[in-house]
Amino acid sequence: MYRRVVITGMGVIAPNGIGKENFWDACISGRSGVRRITRFDASNLPSQIAGEVADFDPLALGVTEKECVYLDRATQFSIASANMALEDAGLMDRLSEEERERTGVFMGSAMAGVDELERTWLRLTESGNHPPRETKEREALIPTRMMTHTYAAMIAVHHQLYGPCNSLATACAAGGDAIGEAFWAIQEGRADRMLAGGADSAISPVGMNVFAILGALSTRNEEPQRASRPYDALRDGFVMAEGAAVLLLEEREQALARNAHIYAEILGFSSNINAHHMTAPPPDGTPLQRLLLQALRKSGVKDEQLDYINSHGSSTPPNEVAETAAYKAIFGELAYRIPISATKSLIGHAQGASSALEAAITALTLERQVIHPTINQEQPDPRCDLDYVPNVARRATVNVALTHSSGFGGVNSALVLARPDWLDREK
Amino acid sequence: MTRYRERRVVITGIGVIASGGIGQQAFWETISNGLSSIVPIQRFPTEDLPIRVAGEISGFVATNYIERKLINRTDRTTQFTLIATQEAVQDAQLVLEEEAMERVGAVIGCALGGNEYVLQQFRAMYTRGPRAMSAYTAIAGLQVANVGQVSIRHGALGYSKTAIHDIVGGLDALGMAYRAIQRGEAEVLIAGGCDGPIEPTVLLSIAHSDQCALGDDVRAYRPFDRRASGMLLAEGAGLCILEDYDHARRRGARIYGEIVAHSQTNDAHGMTIPSASGKQYARAIQLALEEGELLPQEIAYFSADGRALPTSDAGEAEALHMVFGSQCGRIPVSVPRTTTGHAYAAAGPLDAITALLALQQQLIPPTINCEQLDPAYGLNLVRDQARPTSGSAVLLGGRSTGGSNVVLAIRKVE
Repeated sequence: MYRRVVITGMGVIAPNGIGKENFWDACISGRSGVRRITRFDASNLPSQIAGEVADFDPLALGVTEKECVYLDRATQFSIASANMALEDAGLMDRLSEEERERTGVFMGSAMAGVDELERTWLRLTESGNHPPRETKEREALIPTRMMTHTYAAMIAVHHQLYGPCNSLATACAAGGDAIGEAFWAIQEGRADRMLAGGADSAISPVGMNVFAILGALSTRNEEPQRASRPYDALRDGFVMAEGAAVLLLEEREQALARNAHIYAEILGFSSNINAHHMTAPPPDGTPLQRLLLQALRKSGVKDEQLDYINSHGSSTPPNEVAETAAYKAIFGELAYRIPISATKSLIGHAQGASSALEAAITALTLERQVIHPTINQEQPDPRCDLDYVPNVARRATVNVALTHSSGFGGVNSALVLARPDWLDREK
Repeated sequence: MTRYRERRVVITGIGVIASGGIGQQAFWETISNGLSSIVPIQRFPTEDLPIRVAGEISGFVATNYIERKLINRTDRTTQFTLIATQEAVQDAQLVLEEEAMERVGAVIGCALGGNEYVLQQFRAMYTRGPRAMSAYTAIAGLQVANVGQVSIRHGALGYSKTAIHDIVGGLDALGMAYRAIQRGEAEVLIAGGCDGPIEPTVLLSIAHSDQCALGDDVRAYRPFDRRASGMLLAEGAGLCILEDYDHARRRGARIYGEIVAHSQTNDAHGMTIPSASGKQYARAIQLALEEGELLPQEIAYFSADGRALPTSDAGEAEALHMVFGSQCGRIPVSVPRTTTGHAYAAAGPLDAITALLALQQQLIPPTINCEQLDPAYGLNLVRDQARPTSGSAVLLGGRSTGGSNVVLAIRKVE
């Protein structure tokens, strides 16, 4: 018999809002966080737009001055988000040492350390003019800014958490995977509380170019806010973004005992891999089909009980075709009646953070009974003809929701969430 | 802690590519005899680098194992993974065509990703422009390349994950795979780790993290020794076939051993070398003993983290004393990877493979270079020559920078 796991806190740093309320308001208002890139001169790249997080003030969010020196931006996002999650859950500075031995941190990231590696390499080679060697320049190399496991490790340091600590790097599925693995850890009794989520900040020349060179990025530079348009016929690639989301997962009995506010219960986590191609899904979406079926069955949810899907919806031509094919194959006619929305239409693709941000908004959807829109729905793609909640948010009864993500390398993962009272309802 | 043990998890195949040897036989020959394979780095000039020796894999010709098209799209470390996986699959006599492939996956730890490939592309981009970057950079550089390419090559469609947590990533990968099979998420998992730190920018950055012995002495990696000044690095991959026990029995597979515990605790002391405090590490060891229902007298040896840094060594010794008390002196301790070098996230899986072979051969591989073992640690260190054992279990410890303590327990199956 597994223990039950609920979400009792969350912290969010998104291109369209810092903090869960700002993020929520922006999403249901249809406000995009995508702009022209400000952080470096992107004029020699085909894609010059991104979901940058504006006005990030780490000190105001509880990141220390020393942490700002030694840690990179994504690690600062991680600490800030964890701070918000603990505060939100009413557990900031409240856990005893024994409780902190039963509290861990799992974080997901796709591109941890890439932008700092780039800066470091430039300094050590003097912009590629010679092989890397030591320089006298003090700032030349700060290894803690490049260690790819700092997000989880530093959250644990900041809050003195002594439980399981691990990082997942399953590309764009990473944040959701961290949440799923944390869910299993609590189910099985390896921890009582887990901070879990994802972070990424790789809006840099190399970070952008690895995708640009694949033709994977949108080049709608003149209209940044209209560039991320999942399911729309004019979609031309994903929009790079940065961000973080951290959820506080808690064993349900303990959450109830302390009268914690519960956003949602996690019913299930499933994951598989395409074994097809390193970047593209098979067009019929069969592995995704299998994944979604498995996720629902394992959670004890019947097809007709699913009230909302937060999709991967990355705004690439092949992805949404495969998704739609998978939904139709599983649900048949019912697929036309399940509302689906793609958060990436509003914030772009925050890499390893995206699946965590999407889990956060799915939990908020269950709490608030409003579904955020997929924006930029202007020209229907005949291959994508389901209900994507186009352009305008919608009130709805949402008792059970599913969020899924897919990543380079072919990993597909899904989380099934429900309203806190759903599993015990009168049947 | 309640155990949710629905299934038992065994290891039925192993594959190795390390400085000590390509293939398990060559590797065991090196590691059981303590024949150091750490050499001055050959692949690039090292005069301007603080780290100049490592467990470099020599005589590695990728085209002997992998088609050229795939070589162009993968980093060296992923090539290591593919080769070691091939050996493990064959060693397990796994006939994948007869498996339900949705029940077969891969869990592979890697800290540094395809760094050599990526850094070459930095150079291309910054000297010749953005369009000079290889289109395969993302898929070659991301740590997920390992599970991605393994799954494509072998048709694995099931639960697959990439653990990334400094040097314990590979040990955690084995642990995650163990948990996943226990839960019924998969029946067969290709699990282990790979890493390739032997690259100039990477060596410079690791040197700055104060973990490594610097300079030209190939014998400098000497945990618990009075002269200890850090580890020496290596590259490589270690992969195991983890399998549901009943599934293994049904197909008559040879079983190397069983994973009976995986524990994780955290010192949370800062982004620095493993802590001088053994308190949380001791808790991890204790949790593993309880989960695995292991008695001290069953332990053939403790495969130590062996960081060879005075404070970290003290922390590890303290942990062992806290757990084993007066029996501590009777528990053999060894760091066999002093022979081959520390292969970062691959170290844990290579240690596990060493342990499986040790249990099979009833021999504890030695720690080398520790001529001046510090008796103050009070450890029963197996040095220079392999020592016979009738023990039936091995505990493996790993500690990351940043504070993670991971313990994996492996036991013979009677």
